[in-house]
Amino acid sequence: MVYVYAFVERPASVPDVRGIGDARVEAEAAPGLDVVISRHEAPSVEASEPAVIAHARVVEALAASNEAVLPARFGGGHADADGLRAAVAERASELTAALARVRGCVELGVRALAPAGQEVAAASGGAYMRARLEQRREAERLAEELHAPLAERAREATRTVGATPRLLLSAAYLVPKGEVTEFREVVERVQAEHAELAIVCTGPWPAYSFATAEAGSA
Amino acid sequence: MNGASPAAQQEVTLLELVDRVLNKGVVLTGDVTLSVADVDLVYVGLRVLLASVGTLEQLESSPQ
Repeated sequence: MVYVYAFVERPASVPDVRGIGDARVEAEAAPGLDVVISRHEAPSVEASEPAVIAHARVVEALAASNEAVLPARFGGGHADADGLRAAVAERASELTAALARVRGCVELGVRALAPAGQEVAAASGGAYMRARLEQRREAERLAEELHAPLAERAREATRTVGATPRLLLSAAYLVPKGEVTEFREVVERVQAEHAELAIVCTGPWPAYSFATAEAGSA
Repeated sequence: MNGASPAAQQEVTLLELVDRVLNKGVVLTGDVTLSVADVDLVYVGLRVLLASVGTLEQLESSPQ
């Protein structure tokens, strides 16, 4: 099989990095872009910790040596290079547009966690429901307050509100490489304004969360 | 400064890495995709589900 790591603006610069199972990593020309792949005897790759890490490492090395990289999801592959090219051809315009969007940018992840112990206690069922609703509105308002200044510094953003009751914000921001420091300063300012929350900023990552058309804009 | 301890930061970083590699990124038609069971196995293998629970607790108890 031909295993896919990422889609890269042509001509792709392929760094000296080994792929899954220590395979050689190479660029394969496809309509409108280069696809970075490795070839394997097996019909699919095994989902394992070393394989996931190897995938991530190849994508990271590519992001360091190319201006525009769209990461592929782990586990994607095709029987042969012709199958891969046909699949790329189907989505060529969408993929090249996405490459243009992420060009020169990195992704930063932000998670904000509320303190524990905000369980709702109420005398009646109705009062309980009202209190829960109020709590939910408050969480949404707070999430927006955290998100807005960060989204303002980003070219695009995507977020999930209240994935779990305490996880107020789980978001990804597409930020130009040269503006990472400024973005982190905004995160620190937001943290200082909300000392009761734990805010974690991770990255810079390759633009995994902005690799498809569904990713929302800032 | 950030409110999370370095250990919690590291766990969050691992969790975010795995989330990205397994759940984000481009999927093409005809891709040999992983089953949900396969993906779950990776998570269990990485102890990420457990670690993420631990991370939440650590974040909460870490000093400012």
